[in-house]
Amino acid sequence: MTFSNSKWKRSWIGITSGLALALIVSACAPGGASEATTDATTTESKTEEAGSKTEEATSGQAVGSETAAPADPTVIKVGFLSPVTGPIAAIGIEMKQGWELYWEEHGTTAGNFVVETVYEDDGGNPDTALSKAKRLVEDEKVDVVVGPLAANTALAVSDYLIQQGVPNFHPVTAADDITQRNKNPLVIRVGAMSGSQPNYVAGQWAYDQGYRKAITLCSDYAFGWENCGGFVRTFTAAGGEIVNQLWNPLGTPDFSSYATQIASSGADLAFIGSSGGSDGVNFLRAYEDFGLADTIDILGNCCLLDQSTLSEMGDVAEGLHSVTYYAEGLDTPSMRTFHELYDSEYGGLPSLYVANSYVTAGVFSEALTTIEGNEIDPEGLVSAARSVNLEDTVFGPRTIDEWNQPVGNVYITKVEKRDDGKYWNVVEETFEDVGQFWNFDPDEILAGPPYDRTNTGQQ
Amino acid sequence: MTRILGAGASTRLKLAAALVAIAAAVALPYVVSHYQVTVASLILVSAVLATSINFMAGNVGLLSLGHAGIAASAGYGLAWAALHGFGLGGQLLIAGGLTVVSSFVFGITSMRTNGIFFLMATLALGMVVFGLSYRMAPITGGENGLSGIRRPSLFAEYWTFYFAVLAVFVLVTVAVWTVGRSPFGITLRSIRESESRAQSLGYNVAAYKLGAMMISGLVAGVAGVFAVWSIEFISPASGSFVKSALAALMVILGGVGTLLGPLIGASVVLGVEHILSSYIERWPTVLGLIFIVVIIYAPNGIGGVGRDLRKWRVGRKRRRADPQPEIEPASVSLNDGSD
Repeated sequence: MTFSNSKWKRSWIGITSGLALALIVSACAPGGASEATTDATTTESKTEEAGSKTEEATSGQAVGSETAAPADPTVIKVGFLSPVTGPIAAIGIEMKQGWELYWEEHGTTAGNFVVETVYEDDGGNPDTALSKAKRLVEDEKVDVVVGPLAANTALAVSDYLIQQGVPNFHPVTAADDITQRNKNPLVIRVGAMSGSQPNYVAGQWAYDQGYRKAITLCSDYAFGWENCGGFVRTFTAAGGEIVNQLWNPLGTPDFSSYATQIASSGADLAFIGSSGGSDGVNFLRAYEDFGLADTIDILGNCCLLDQSTLSEMGDVAEGLHSVTYYAEGLDTPSMRTFHELYDSEYGGLPSLYVANSYVTAGVFSEALTTIEGNEIDPEGLVSAARSVNLEDTVFGPRTIDEWNQPVGNVYITKVEKRDDGKYWNVVEETFEDVGQFWNFDPDEILAGPPYDRTNTGQQ
Repeated sequence: MTRILGAGASTRLKLAAALVAIAAAVALPYVVSHYQVTVASLILVSAVLATSINFMAGNVGLLSLGHAGIAASAGYGLAWAALHGFGLGGQLLIAGGLTVVSSFVFGITSMRTNGIFFLMATLALGMVVFGLSYRMAPITGGENGLSGIRRPSLFAEYWTFYFAVLAVFVLVTVAVWTVGRSPFGITLRSIRESESRAQSLGYNVAAYKLGAMMISGLVAGVAGVFAVWSIEFISPASGSFVKSALAALMVILGGVGTLLGPLIGASVVLGVEHILSSYIERWPTVLGLIFIVVIIYAPNGIGGVGRDLRKWRVGRKRRRADPQPEIEPASVSLNDGSD
């Protein structure tokens, strides 16, 4: 680069880009986000004030809660880690919405405590997630960390939090091992079921429906391996045959080759363990282009036909079945409230990821109300959350097992068109009290290696 | 020519700057909070990785987009050995072995390439490491990564670890600087300036490039080991393309071929990613804007600003009498910023 440009031109460029920078930076400090973080960074002496400010800011519609709050509630600080930037930001943002939504509905007071949340962005990167977790624990002195999302960030953060004695609530992360091989009294999964859990139901259901030969297509990483692992284990244990297993890399743009392999496989059912997002949309496109609807039946996992991408899929999704723990078409009082709340706040129908954080907040709040006094003992908080018995969550009734893993309903759902033209998943069949080991012996499952491409659960 | 003439003065300046920086760095843990020291350690670790890329880019004129792969193979070696009960010596031996093997593979594959082809070769190899770490789940833990690794007791505390990383960074920087000044380094730079001339003078260019890659890879391996210790965790993200690309961007941002460029680049990138991101939700935009501004106004990087200004002042006086030659398009900006 040379400096032959005239001085005038240089200063002109300088001024414009300076202005652009100023504009972008000021536009980049959105009210809500910066408010929360500014509040959070005030000094300890202002914590009380900051707490009530946050409450004012977040309680919104639930104004009543403020007057009903006890005279001197203890502030419990929650660090909420989610990737609101980076490749999985779409899910990270929905995850954050669910958490905010709950406190807007119910107010931030729970029992003797006022919940104050500090939000942090981990960008979906383990290094950042860990350093943000350290900031939350060491600078913000949070009492509990909720999140993060991606399995690798979650495991890195959990490992650190356990060392620090800080409880860790997982709303969305599905990695089996969080509540299996890496089980810890400080770590609890509240919203999501584990990767294999609902899919044990899938295999059994498929066999009971009369399917005998299946082909699977799962995402080629831990989540997909666990999804397929669950399906294959129960399907083959019942006597079904797996004719082929296909694995698509995360972010596959074109599913044509998989679609042709599925069409020519001779199987009567294709189980699709999708990571959701664009993978789901792209698969459905290939499904339509290759006319798979005429040749084979499809059973999706939790995420293939989830609300977060269902509207992008259109008519092709209508009538397709999934096995999942969340069906937005479930007709229960709590689901109706959830829909109204989400629609008024963000518009549209809430996805699985919103529900995961929403339920996590519910369990957390419920756990706080059962704690007597103002002291929080980390393991006590987790065991209080474990004993919460929720009769009517958006997932249906929920309990948590001694491994700190949810037990609840798994639904066979079908995509239907609503009167307003939107699509949603309605429940066709319900399996109750599904645990993370289905009806297998935990020792038998844990004796084997975790699910991967070589250990696919084949019986 | 100006490069050789100006070397003495600018080196003294750099040395003074380095000493001031070291003094400030030593005082750091006593001034700032625990978390900020943790971020400083991360910056230093990234700076070591960037230094390894800078060594190749500055001396041989080859920008790598796969060095995170070498770092990750060292990291996985260490992590795997730590989780399988090896002592510190065994862990370092395995990490070192994997570093040598991966650097050798990187070197042997890319030693006959140049410019964009070197970039593609290293990119591909980096992706191979990433793919392996992703797929070989029984060994690497796949996407879930390996957790439960602990630092050696000598620097288990956050501030002792900071000092360890600081020492390593200084040592690596001095070592790289020394190698750069040695006859070996001078030969590398002659290869950078003109491969065909170096060849016609009888130098085995490919062997020199392989040697440079081995040195660079060794530094990347050190970065990989300390990266694992700093977060006590490793997953495929450690060897991802994003990681390699960010490290290369740190080098460009800081100034290719400058001594402290990698540190400056790492500070800016990680400062935005870890600290600014707590206050500004759209921090990636800010990072992008910084890159654009630096590329436009400081093409030799932030570390090269001083030299740019000197050149500009001198150039303004002399331009009419003795116009500076334009940089030939073939050498792009890669070879431009190095001394």
